[in-house]
Amino acid sequence: MLKIIIPTIMLFPVIWYSNSTLIWINMTSYSLMINLMTLPLLNQAGNNSNNFSLTFFSDSLSSPLLMLTVWLLPLMIMASQHHLMKESLTRKKLYLSMLISLQMFLIMTFSATELILFYILFEATLIPTLIIITRWGNQTERLNAGLYFLFYTLIGSLPLLVALIYVQISLGSLNYLVMNIWFQDMSSSWSSNLLWLACIMAFMVKMPLYGLHLWLPKAHVEAPIAGSMVLAAVLLKLGGYGMLRLTIILNPTTKIMAYPFIMLCLWGMIMTSSICLRQTDLKSLIAYSSVSHMALVIVAILMQTPWSFMGATALMIAHGLTSSMLFCLANSNYERIHSRTMLLARGLQAFLPLMATWWLLASLTNLALPPFINLIGELFVIMASFSWSNVTITMTGLNMLITALYSLYMLTMTQRGKFTYHIHNIKPSYTRENTLMSMHMLPLIMLTLNPKIIMGLTY
Amino acid sequence: MKLPILTIIMTTIFTGTMLTMISSHWLLIWIGLEINMLSIIPILTKNQKPRSTEAATKYFLTQATASMLLMFTIVFNAMHSGQWTTTNIDPNNMIVSLTMIIALTMKLGMTPFHFWVPEVTQGVSLMTGMLLLTWQKLAPISIMMQMFTSINPIILLLIALMSVLVGGWGGLNQTQLRKILAYSSIAHMGWMMAILTFCPSLTMLNLLIYLMLTIIMFTMLNMNTNMTTLTLSNLWNKSPTITMMILISLLSLGGLPPLTGFLPKWIIIQELTKNNNIAMATVMAIMALLNLYFYMRLIYSTSLTLFPTPNNIKMKWQFQPKKRSLFLSPLIILSTLTLPLSPVLSTLN
Repeated sequence: MLKIIIPTIMLFPVIWYSNSTLIWINMTSYSLMINLMTLPLLNQAGNNSNNFSLTFFSDSLSSPLLMLTVWLLPLMIMASQHHLMKESLTRKKLYLSMLISLQMFLIMTFSATELILFYILFEATLIPTLIIITRWGNQTERLNAGLYFLFYTLIGSLPLLVALIYVQISLGSLNYLVMNIWFQDMSSSWSSNLLWLACIMAFMVKMPLYGLHLWLPKAHVEAPIAGSMVLAAVLLKLGGYGMLRLTIILNPTTKIMAYPFIMLCLWGMIMTSSICLRQTDLKSLIAYSSVSHMALVIVAILMQTPWSFMGATALMIAHGLTSSMLFCLANSNYERIHSRTMLLARGLQAFLPLMATWWLLASLTNLALPPFINLIGELFVIMASFSWSNVTITMTGLNMLITALYSLYMLTMTQRGKFTYHIHNIKPSYTRENTLMSMHMLPLIMLTLNPKIIMGLTY
Repeated sequence: MKLPILTIIMTTIFTGTMLTMISSHWLLIWIGLEINMLSIIPILTKNQKPRSTEAATKYFLTQATASMLLMFTIVFNAMHSGQWTTTNIDPNNMIVSLTMIIALTMKLGMTPFHFWVPEVTQGVSLMTGMLLLTWQKLAPISIMMQMFTSINPIILLLIALMSVLVGGWGGLNQTQLRKILAYSSIAHMGWMMAILTFCPSLTMLNLLIYLMLTIIMFTMLNMNTNMTTLTLSNLWNKSPTITMMILISLLSLGGLPPLTGFLPKWIIIQELTKNNNIAMATVMAIMALLNLYFYMRLIYSTSLTLFPTPNNIKMKWQFQPKKRSLFLSPLIILSTLTLPLSPVLSTLN
């Protein structure tokens, strides 16, 4: 694992010693090389995990997420080039340093064996993200957004720290590989209910669960493009990953305690999808769509069946790529008209047809069109929840309908119809932007051919 | 103040604390505390303003009361147990244990005797405030660490919890930086005393890290003599590096991983959980977030936003820095980046 971590750390000197002409080229090319080195990790042996050392390991759950994280870094760098054009060289380097430190923490989080190390790095990802949102966001609301983001996550995760330490004392070790052998059933007392809550709430805030999701629209909307991309694609998945790792010690309390959360998720799915239909702000629409998709993931993880775990992992990867692509598309709009309002730039298909193709593909994957992996994820989750309780099909089916509605609403509002007259002088699409979109779309399409690698632990 | 006089007074302060730390006879400990208190009074009144005199008076009154309470406890203990050593206080003697805690927590500035800390720290200059919040804590903590087996844990835990709460809530409405650091001191004292009856070496660890962080905070604030949040917002123009260092130091002071300030909180929570004090650990951890909120406000005003400034702010003369900042760089690195070195703790006894 050091073969990935040390090159990522070494990107720091690459940034600080590059001059202004070479900095973007250096960053993009070296992060693409780190991508190449991470690809072999996807070759996972059956039921076992690749244990690199006592501290780092990668198994079929963490390797797709790791791949997503390293894949996203060059994409983030490419997407940030435009809005950082006017900044001084030192500020560009600072921004890229924040991205690199975030990347380093994320790689270590997804490969940590010791759960306390996972916790420390989970919290450590907050600092660079906070700095990116608050320092480089564009509106005054970014201050509030940063505070909401930081404090929602911290209030959820401090009980997690206490719970993890308690589990370490009672179980003996928090090393994930040891925990798989040494785990015991939780007693069915009130205090173990509280312990379950303490373990889960941190990840529920991160996912986010419907009632605790207030930080997400603020943070996603106010963040600059790289911040939005990494938040939507990877940081939300940290919550899912953490929950999947902790399920082993949370049995059998999960069977009882999960009910209110499953209900909140099912209801929240429909609520946030419906809110998407009434949004005027494009980024806010994509943010609420993230909440809706993640609610499905939470339902899947809490139901604890093999199919639901497969669906959860596949949905996490698929949603990561799709929602990051949607944010890039929204940003390409924002860079041209400097507003996030959907109404202001309509009928873009007449001006930018290739970009309209990317909009079409992104919207189609967002509404879970077959044969993309979004469908595989959602279908597995819906089937698992149907077998858990027949009634849930009403909610999940309704959600799929409303998801299709708002995805097509977003598509037709921005791309189709009569164009607005004031956008006749927008710049044509840059090659950089088209590369960005294709680099999002190609993994999505190719994963359709072999979804086995993203199906996670229970394939 | 003339240099020879300053040297003599500083030496006396040093002697007082050292006398307290090396003695095992209660009378000498009390004498050390008195020498310390009396010799810091001229330091507090160094700049001849009425506010400083007021601060010095408040400091003198509270510390003298605490010393007298301590004297009472010493004599009472000598009367009932017949000996004057520190380590042999009878924990079953309720009056002794109670008044001992009250005296020492009054010296340290913990709730419910914390009212003097913000006002005294505000009335004196930045470097004197640093002396007050760092050096003056050493003597009472050394006493408490010597007699930790005889302290009533329930009272101490109660005082610690209240200190964390008051330190968090009290600092929320402040814009004066010295008062913010004073409330931060109250909260950190709460964390330190919470673990004293379980594992005093963690009190020492928390004290060391807190001392380093407070020293660098005061030193960085002293470089431009920033005493309010408003003046901090001009720091980006004078020295942007210090802006970033304040960001990292304040995040470490707030206890965010992966910075060193997280280490004492983590290990204190671990020790409290091992001793079945899970509720206390959770409550203290969540209340530390209040501290983080007003540090975040400071960080916002220094590095992450630009306050409205007049147009010619960038035309300021950039002079050579004249204030000395001894050991700032190593201390910053020590107090923010040494979390990966935490396994070193297992080698200490």
